[in-house]
Amino acid sequence: MAAQAKQLAIIADKTNNTSNISAADLIKIFSTHNHTWPDGKTIRIVMRDPSSADMQLVLRKLLNMTPEQARTFIQIHRDVILIADSDDAVLRFVSTSPGAIGVVDLYSLTKDVNVVKIDGKLPVEQGYLLRGN
Amino acid sequence: MLNAIGRNSNMKSIASQVAVSLVWAGLLLAGANATAQAAPTDNPQTAVLPLTTKSPQARRLVEKALKLYLDQVEQAKAIEILRKAVKIDPDFAMGHELLAQISLESGEQVSEQEKAFATRSHATQPEQTLIEWYQDAGDAKLIPAITKMNDVLSQYPHDKTVVWMTTWWLMMQTQYERSIAIYERSGITDSPGLMNNMGYNYAGIRQFDKAFALMDKYVAAMPHDPNPQDSYAEILRMAGHFDQSVEHYRAALAIDPEFYSSQFGVADTYSLMGDQVRARKEYEIGFQRFSIPQQHWILWKSREAATFVRAGDLAGADKTFQAIADFAHSDHLSQVEADTYRQMAMYQPDSKQAVALLDKADTALQEGKNAMKAAILEESAQVLRLRVELAVKAGNQELAKSTATRLADLSDSSDDKLVETAYHGAEGSVLFAAGKYDDAISHLEEDVNNPLSLKLLAQAYQKIGYSAGVKRIDETLSNLNDPTLEQALIVPAFRKCYEDPACNGSLNAGTPKLRHTL
Repeated sequence: MAAQAKQLAIIADKTNNTSNISAADLIKIFSTHNHTWPDGKTIRIVMRDPSSADMQLVLRKLLNMTPEQARTFIQIHRDVILIADSDDAVLRFVSTSPGAIGVVDLYSLTKDVNVVKIDGKLPVEQGYLLRGN
Repeated sequence: MLNAIGRNSNMKSIASQVAVSLVWAGLLLAGANATAQAAPTDNPQTAVLPLTTKSPQARRLVEKALKLYLDQVEQAKAIEILRKAVKIDPDFAMGHELLAQISLESGEQVSEQEKAFATRSHATQPEQTLIEWYQDAGDAKLIPAITKMNDVLSQYPHDKTVVWMTTWWLMMQTQYERSIAIYERSGITDSPGLMNNMGYNYAGIRQFDKAFALMDKYVAAMPHDPNPQDSYAEILRMAGHFDQSVEHYRAALAIDPEFYSSQFGVADTYSLMGDQVRARKEYEIGFQRFSIPQQHWILWKSREAATFVRAGDLAGADKTFQAIADFAHSDHLSQVEADTYRQMAMYQPDSKQAVALLDKADTALQEGKNAMKAAILEESAQVLRLRVELAVKAGNQELAKSTATRLADLSDSSDDKLVETAYHGAEGSVLFAAGKYDDAISHLEEDVNNPLSLKLLAQAYQKIGYSAGVKRIDETLSNLNDPTLEQALIVPAFRKCYEDPACNGSLNAGTPKLRHTL
């Protein structure tokens, strides 16, 4: 069966005032070059295991790494990047952790988090960065 | 038959209860129950969605309707009982919502959804959220619809009605794996209606062994009911087991000679087997013998019309489709009328005639009656998508591009998944025609449920030398057994070439020469 294109959402906690982020800034966050939000809060990243199907898009478009490279990178930066075993765990962590940013499948979204646009686009819009196979 | 729906407290945070454990590399956040962001005061293991009404009689009727629908797969009887319930209490919001979802008449679906939304203030917060989820979905507001769906599900992960509504909606969004996961986590193993729908979910991801296992269980649970045999037949047909499919349809009719869906299932299967004369004979038996709901009449009349296309008898197809369009026009079924004209346009050899038919489709859509906003929007997108294909076929790149831009604007103005995939299919087609294969691929990969996009995708893969991709699409297309016009226009000709090593149309060698395709 031909694979259905994935749509991933970038999420932040409800107190985070950042509703939009550029692709370039998002890459800086995920590559740990950018450590704080404009309001000074420390950024913590939470994502699924880099070998999971959903994370392939993140590796390709945000980290430009193979799963093995990503594992090593995350190990080195484990004070900043957390790995969750499900989208629900990502959502729980982000919703209760000011400054956290996470990645989940579009269909996992709940009202407890804010969806952060990338380059002014939501996951359902044309040209959104984190979509595809 | 798929157990179909139309299309469509006090809460305390349990975030503090999230278990965090050290596992690999860094921290692994251990998930508890999926989707459980917050729990209602009641234990979510046993929480049941309220059905708020001032009338105990109306509530009993709705409970009876749900039992009939989910445990006995008696859709028609359930609809009748729901109609009685909302007549007794016109402010019964969930009664209206359930009727909107299982009704088989477009006008009733729309009016009942409106009533559910208008009367939701009489219901509890979870009921209101559920109704707003469907309203958002109907208004093509996908993200709010998703968050509301997950909100309701997190409160009632084991409620049969909620699990059914959630898994169904996700299946309609082609989120088969997510739908299956919710079903499996629900722990509900005794609902024939859910077994039925999950069989289709597994079939949707072509895990036929699991689908057949569920169908065996479903048949065993209801040995004297025709629907398990009917569903088994349909899933066998999806897997390409046509002879066995007809046997199961016949078994359903032997149990209940009035189970019309199996009669039409036999017809659909003969059509896919290539025997259009036999298929039409079986459709006619069905139309003459049974009085069937409007949506089903339209569905199988369209399938009958497709038999003429499969046989190359375009005049026959025109006549049959036109009868459907006339019926839809007289009943003010705007989306149905538009969809019928669009289907007619798909197989016209004369592109001017095709464009004239699309103009008629647009006229019907402008009337916009008896259809949800999302349905009108989606049909408009499909019409534009076909206009793009026609422009590409005519070599008019400028028109193709400008029409694709209109479709992009339409897609940008909503977050409807079908509108979006229509745009990607159209844009992929424009880019393919311009020889921009890599760009075309990124769009066509977003429209993998459309045979035309699949065919183009395989050709684009071939152009860039991605043989594994070509092979995967070859297999998908050659195993597509869906009795729709899209399948009729693409798959039989493709399959003929695919199975013939000498055929220059094999994707390994070139482009299939399709007689009636765009």
